[in-house]
Amino acid sequence: MPVVTVASPKGGAGKSTAAVLLGTELARAGASVVLLDCDPNRSLSIWAERGQVPDRIRVLADIGEGEIIRTVKEHDRDGTVVIVDLEGVASRLVSRAISQADLVLTPMRATSLDANVGARAVRLVAEEEEVIGRKIRHAVVFTMTRAIRSRAHKGIEQSLRGQGLDVMEPPLMERIAFADLFERGGDLHDMPEGGTIANARDNAAAFAQAVIERLTSEDAT
Amino acid sequence: MSEPPPYQIDIRGLRKRPKELAPETESRIDEAAEELGFVEREPRKRRGRPKSPRTGQVHARVLPGFSEEIAAEARRRGVQQGVLIEEAWNLYKEDRGM
Ligand SMILES: Nc1ncnc2c1ncn2[C@@H]1O[C@H](COP(=O)(O)OP(=O)(O)O)[C@@H](O)[C@H]1O
Ligand SMILES: [Mg+2]
Repeated sequence: MPVVTVASPKGGAGKSTAAVLLGTELARAGASVVLLDCDPNRSLSIWAERGQVPDRIRVLADIGEGEIIRTVKEHDRDGTVVIVDLEGVASRLVSRAISQADLVLTPMRATSLDANVGARAVRLVAEEEEVIGRKIRHAVVFTMTRAIRSRAHKGIEQSLRGQGLDVMEPPLMERIAFADLFERGGDLHDMPEGGTIANARDNAAAFAQAVIERLTSEDAT
Repeated sequence: MSEPPPYQIDIRGLRKRPKELAPETESRIDEAAEELGFVEREPRKRRGRPKSPRTGQVHARVLPGFSEEIAAEARRRGVQQGVLIEEAWNLYKEDRGM
């Protein structure tokens, strides 16, 4: 099954959060999920240690540039989704992880700084497509957005779409529950009911569904 | 238990797609990435000295004074003794017009 590589050279863009939300939603829907923690800061491993790792999810850590291609191949099989979480740097590890991806997901906050740094990931994917000779689907997801989109947000989004980029709907909104995931471990459904948790669950599920659409549509080949 | 979520995630369409790379493609990816500033960032795991390109050998027994002087000069310059022999041989050839 598919390989999703979450990549942006920008730290704090929301990569690890997006990786955990996607992984936990897909696992809840019945998929086996392998999360590859390729960040020396080990965000995903810390998440896994904080609480009960949900059923059907495995987290593998300490994967470097020498191991990434082989490790992805090993787990890329029917019934399993591989999600690669990377450090926010421009590294050879990032480029190798992209070479194995069915979908590259670039989370960014709606700031011009995030968008500019994220653009480096966009260029890298385009370059790799050229070298490999296959289409690599690439999408941007805005993170930590507010209910009312700021003017800056709208401007950046318009500019990205104008460049032909695929901007995902919905964005991952700024939500306490998403930040809490890393404090508590587990998934959104382990959290107590009440407050805005239902909205957070809907947001995460709709985001995961938008990812699946990109992985299953015909032009994903 | 709980009511169904408003977004029903359907994973049935997900399948594996071929992504094989030829070994030379892998190195071309590394090169293309490097040009965009995506470079190696891991500490080198290799230990010890890099391999020497000096793979030829000469078999030279010399008088004791010569061997000590050659060893001392090589140590002073921080080069292998073979480097001095190469230099000496180049001078010899120049001298003889070889
Ligand atoms: N949608 C969101 N809502 C609330 N907090 C978020 C959201 N996305 C990320 N965060 C928080 O922002 C910080 C950086 O996010 P993270 O996913 O670790 O970024 P990255 O992996 O790109 O460095 C973390 O503290 C995380 O909890
Ligand atoms: Mg991270």
